[in-house]
Amino acid sequence: MMTPAAKQAAERAIAGAALLIVALGPLIFSDYWVSFILTQTFLLGIAAASLIFLSAYGGMISLAQTALLGVAGFTLGNLVTDTSSKGLNLGWDPWLSVVLAILITVAVGLVFGALASRSTGIYFLMITLTLGVLVYYFFGQVTEVSGFSGISGIARRAPGLVGGGSDPDRLYYTALILAILVYVLIRFVLRTPFGYALQGVRDDPVRMASLGYNVTLHRTLAFGLGAFFASLSGVLYVWWNGQIDPASINLQNTVDLLIIAVIGGLARVEGAWLGAFAFVAINNYVRDVSVPILGGSFNTVIGFIFLAIVLVSPDGLMGIWDRLTTGRRRPAFGATVEPAAATSGGAARGTSGQVGGHGTKEPPREGGGK
Amino acid sequence: MKEHFRQSRLLAVLALLLAALALTAVGCGGDDDDDDAAGDDTTAVDTSGGEPTDTGPINVAIMTDCEGAFGFGYELDIGGAQAALVEYAGATANNPETPSDGIEGASVAGRDIEIVGYGCGDDTADTALVETRRLMEELDADIMIGPLSGDEAVAVANYAVDNPDKWFIIGTAGSQDPTLQIAPENVFRYHGDGAQWNAGLGEIVYKKLGWRTAAIIMDDYSFGWTSGAGIIADFCGVGGEITSRVFPPLGTTDYSSYVQQLPPPDEVDGYFWVVGGTGTGAALQAFEQQYGQLNAEQHSGNLFLAFLGNFEAVAPRLVGAYFGGFGTGPGLQTEQALAYEEIMNGVYPELPAADGFVYNYYNAAWAMVQGLEASGGDLATLGENMPRELMSGYEVTDSDDNVVTSGGIVVLDDNRQAIQDQYPLQIVEGDDGNPTTVVVGMVPNVDQTFGGLFTPESPPPGREQPACEDVDLPWENNIRVVENGEVTEELIEE
Repeated sequence: MMTPAAKQAAERAIAGAALLIVALGPLIFSDYWVSFILTQTFLLGIAAASLIFLSAYGGMISLAQTALLGVAGFTLGNLVTDTSSKGLNLGWDPWLSVVLAILITVAVGLVFGALASRSTGIYFLMITLTLGVLVYYFFGQVTEVSGFSGISGIARRAPGLVGGGSDPDRLYYTALILAILVYVLIRFVLRTPFGYALQGVRDDPVRMASLGYNVTLHRTLAFGLGAFFASLSGVLYVWWNGQIDPASINLQNTVDLLIIAVIGGLARVEGAWLGAFAFVAINNYVRDVSVPILGGSFNTVIGFIFLAIVLVSPDGLMGIWDRLTTGRRRPAFGATVEPAAATSGGAARGTSGQVGGHGTKEPPREGGGK
Repeated sequence: MKEHFRQSRLLAVLALLLAALALTAVGCGGDDDDDDAAGDDTTAVDTSGGEPTDTGPINVAIMTDCEGAFGFGYELDIGGAQAALVEYAGATANNPETPSDGIEGASVAGRDIEIVGYGCGDDTADTALVETRRLMEELDADIMIGPLSGDEAVAVANYAVDNPDKWFIIGTAGSQDPTLQIAPENVFRYHGDGAQWNAGLGEIVYKKLGWRTAAIIMDDYSFGWTSGAGIIADFCGVGGEITSRVFPPLGTTDYSSYVQQLPPPDEVDGYFWVVGGTGTGAALQAFEQQYGQLNAEQHSGNLFLAFLGNFEAVAPRLVGAYFGGFGTGPGLQTEQALAYEEIMNGVYPELPAADGFVYNYYNAAWAMVQGLEASGGDLATLGENMPRELMSGYEVTDSDDNVVTSGGIVVLDDNRQAIQDQYPLQIVEGDDGNPTTVVVGMVPNVDQTFGGLFTPESPPPGREQPACEDVDLPWENNIRVVENGEVTEELIEE
């Protein structure tokens, strides 16, 4: 068991080493690892971070983040392409298109947030799931902006600075830098008055309302910020994948993002990238595995691995680390996941079994409260 | 003590997990030159042109679907491709019953052919791209045979644009874009697209069943539109009129609301059903619930009428109905067709040789072998050496004329897309009293442009594309009657 200071030092050392390794990624790893495994890890990690941000600090487990990723991707695809056989093919400037894609996604996120933020718990989950399905069918059935075949050729219209499909190393570093920026921004926001108030809303919305805070507005704004993170992920996604279609944001991918967040650990933002790495690596390398007793399907094997992770640690891979270093016991299923905040600075009240953030009456811990 | 044990267990779990991830990274990381998934020195091929500088194995991947609507085609596709390698590249099948168990000993022009992996798609472009990248970048394939379906082929064609040093021979895909609108020079397709497969169907129902007006219901995505485009172009080309188009979303299972959008049976002469996967059966059953038992002379459709459970579900009430083919001529008795079926039966006796998936993957692999032989195993010059003519099993004509022979050729057009004979089918009552299908016509030399109707500049098939116009199609009034597997000199007449 480590002291909080020792744990913080260890985490900083690990983070520093990890940053050094990924900064030198193209020199260390194969092209495939750089362009596929790690770039995908960074961009999926950003999307998962948007979910964890809302979950851990806003008490809102959103199933609309994949859809918001899609809104950004489809918007960029429509605005920037000029040769795709589907979509609007407006052929606008790549940078202008990126800015508009992000702004439109944030606006959609704010609308979604306004619609969903008055509800909590299972109702919030269902509303965001509904919104996600709505986005899926919108882009599937409105053929003027996509159709089920999707929009292709987007990577070729990526700004030269980020490379797109033509220069995987540039896209890798773009994704890496954006992942770091998202992490830093989340940490920063949590230390602002808005961040403290958001955590207060998470812990006890009734008390916050009685203190004069506009609970709905805080949740809506948080949703908008989550949409911003998701939009960055969406832009990276279409640069990386080159195309997007409704299957990119279907129910399976919605659940996949939740799986990433859960196996990484819903209580800490760092878990987003750890979960994304585990998800991408397992999905990639278990595809060749065939276990006859499991029906020979690699998907079954993948499912068992994810199940094993959650069984060993209901609070994900980050939870294993936290328990190793703090000596805490594994939380029971359905119990509130205690934040590992004191040393990480990422104080978070996990929401296992506490969808919506009700049920705890302790003051917020991030930075000691307002 | 208990606490210590718990921590030790956690540490062990964490260590195992990290070790697994690290092993994965080590095994797959590092310099590309050391990253050889096939376990051999396969990657030192000079692709800059000139004489081949390496005699190591050529890495080939077979990309197909193992999940989704076409997941049933996994072994069919692999078997088709590998049978060609057994026949023409000296390979031996490891298991005649399970093609995915692989082959051994394939070589062409002095270079071994290694199957480095089988792609597992699920009928979506995203998964196809993920699998293609795994096969081409991680397993370092030089040539990919695949993918399986329309949207997947569009994604792969776009991937091919960004990877001009890799080669792609489409396995089976019905979308038009890969070889018309996108058409990269490193993509080849030795079979027709979804529109080509339906060539002749409109003329047959116009002449044999007297249809003058029809409604069409088609899946709301690229394959549905492309497949429907072939029917519309053909039917309108001979003077028919499409009065209504209905578009159920992909994945629809309850078609009742879409059936209600169709005009009733007394307002149109017939209906074209272009709904994929298991949708055709469900859609026709919804129609029956709305309007009573099916009248076989009022219903036609694309190849999906004979797919999956559709045939069993509705065929007994559709004896006499015509539907579109798959580029194959099941039951054709030409020397070439019989020779092809004998090869397939010899390698993988349990696979249906006349199945379009088997046939198309077989032709793709056979073309690859011919291309490698012609290039002397030089990947840099493979593109220019890929065959522009292929004596595939069910061809009976060549591109210069429509003379029927005991064996014809598939010809590639300038976009490396097949010009291919097509075979409309009919549901008939078999000798055992159960419904079966027979080839009723041979449509010669169907090209992807439909005689210039579809061009790289024209809008791709969509909800309203093509418009219903009376255009002159090259095969109009030139569809041969096929009887008992013989292509006759007789033409389809009213």
